Amino acid sequence: MRARKSKDRGAKKIETAIETAIETAIETAIETINLNVYYNSNHVIKSVSLQIPENVVFAIMGPSGCGKSTLLRAFNRLIELQENARVEGDIKLYGRSVFEMNPIEVRRQIGTVFQQVNPFPHLSIYENVAMGLKLNKLVKSKDELNRTVEWALKKAALWDEVKDRLNDFASNLSGGQQQRLCIARALALKPEVLLMDEPTANLDPIATEKIEDLIYELKKEYTIIIVTHSPSQAARVADFVAFLYLGKLIEVGPVEKIFENPAENLTEKYLTGRIG
Amino acid sequence: MRDAFSGTFRDTFKVSILPFSALIFGIFLLMLLVYFANSIQIFQKEGIEIYTTNKWIASEDPEKEFYGVLAAIYGSIYSSVIAVVIALPLSISFAVFVIDYAPSKLKEWFIIATDIMAGLPTIIYGIWGAFVLVPFLKDFVMYPIYNHLSFIPFFSFEPLSGYSFLSAGVLLGIMVTPFASSIIREAYRMIPFKYREAVFSIGATRYEATKILLSYIKPAIVAGVILAFGRAIGETVAVSLVVGNTFNIHPSLFAPGYTISSLIANQFGNAFIYEYMVSALFAAGLSLFFVGLAVNLLGMYILRRRVHE
Ligand SMILES: Nc1ncnc2c1ncn2[C@@H]1O[C@H](COP(=O)(O)OP(=O)(O)O)[C@@H](O)[C@H]1O
Ligand SMILES: [Mg+2]
Repeated sequence: MRARKSKDRGAKKIETAIETAIETAIETAIETINLNVYYNSNHVIKSVSLQIPENVVFAIMGPSGCGKSTLLRAFNRLIELQENARVEGDIKLYGRSVFEMNPIEVRRQIGTVFQQVNPFPHLSIYENVAMGLKLNKLVKSKDELNRTVEWALKKAALWDEVKDRLNDFASNLSGGQQQRLCIARALALKPEVLLMDEPTANLDPIATEKIEDLIYELKKEYTIIIVTHSPSQAARVADFVAFLYLGKLIEVGPVEKIFENPAENLTEKYLTGRIG
Repeated sequence: MRDAFSGTFRDTFKVSILPFSALIFGIFLLMLLVYFANSIQIFQKEGIEIYTTNKWIASEDPEKEFYGVLAAIYGSIYSSVIAVVIALPLSISFAVFVIDYAPSKLKEWFIIATDIMAGLPTIIYGIWGAFVLVPFLKDFVMYPIYNHLSFIPFFSFEPLSGYSFLSAGVLLGIMVTPFASSIIREAYRMIPFKYREAVFSIGATRYEATKILLSYIKPAIVAGVILAFGRAIGETVAVSLVVGNTFNIHPSLFAPGYTISSLIANQFGNAFIYEYMVSALFAAGLSLFFVGLAVNLLGMYILRRRVHE
């Protein structure tokens, strides 16, 4: 084995050099290594190893019940709120194991937007965004707090609609506005990664479009991992797609590749609507 | 078709529960009326002074009779406020403990224990209060504080007997905690999981999460406080064993006093001997209606302000 031809060695060298170049150019935001999740004895995520590059929209699609939400919640350890959940394997955020970090720190860096639209209904629009900033002591003055809240609401494309009613209850907003408020709440903490669990599942088409446009805007600065059970949404918003089926990672790749030329039979079946 | 059917069903249901609601409301009104009617005699004699003076002159000669229950009103409110101040933190922490921290196997047992505590005959608390709580408070709380801080009006009365507003308040606080706690616990348990997730997703610690979630159930907490206050102010037997039963208006926690409920309970037996005492006691009871009404209005005000702020 050692007695390789020098030509081969040269090729190998170039290959390694290219790999290193790619690795340094495109950072991996989140990586899972042989990840398994159980609810009691129910094995829900099965040996998933996945690399999610920085500043892309990464869609996780699959039929309902295949473990998408579970996988997403494992990334920032929200899964630990489920008493019966058990996680094995490793998850790395920019190379650092999230299990070696304080979960509060992990959740600050990995924000979440949920399928069930959930701004705090008893708090004002302003307070919903300000809450996380106050909790994590991310601002030093009232003035900075105001500016950051405004910044987050603008990022979430909600500012113009709410700037005159910041003290109104969040529950008085429309469904789509509430979801964008949740996005603002997450963005206010300036996370690196934004998890979105079927963010448009409970919204009408117009509100959905707004959120999808927003996702497109946000990917310049954030890594967005979006869960969807709709392949067409994945096709619209994502750069990369992972297909999850019964807790197994079936296929992952650039969106064109997966949709035009899936390597796996299952993926093709799913995309053509024959399963799921 | 289905809608029409369920509509009819709902109407039938409404009609069938209506008489019961009306009945309960009617009984309440009648009761109020009885209290008013029986109080008239004393109002005609003394006017508002039944509520604004602190005198208790029971005499064979109706001309010399005079009743002023201010001390009892004061004592009722004072001891109930102490009770609520004690019960509120206790019941909130107990509710959070049972839902968030207690091992799931023990959870039901804790809940059953609270229900038993709530259902115990109050005389049991009263006797425990008189024989255990009062001596304990007197020796280990009241005297130590009194010896060092008697220049502060709250602590200025020497707790000779231990029977006092504080004893009544602490005992009442313990007695009403299970009630307040049940209401708060059930509301806390019912908070949709999506809000729990939301709180933790923005980097809250467990303690911070609890605080935010408690602010979400503020209406239930206010309801719990009102219920606790109502029970405290209405409690009779246990209080009369520890409050001292003395007509006394004193700022000190350690001073003995009276409450409306214990006054009525203590005096009712011999009230019929006198011309005006029965009426005075009805008027005293009527004041509890007013206090209860005021507390409920205050609660509604707190909740309304929350909606408009
Ligand atoms: N808290 C839980 N306890 C037990 N089983 C759960 C829990 N949450 C989800 N599951 C199960 O795990 C599987 C995956 O659920 P989920 O991750 O929500 O799927 P998806 O988001 O893809 O619809 C489902 O079979 C579901 O019933
Ligand atoms: Mg899901």
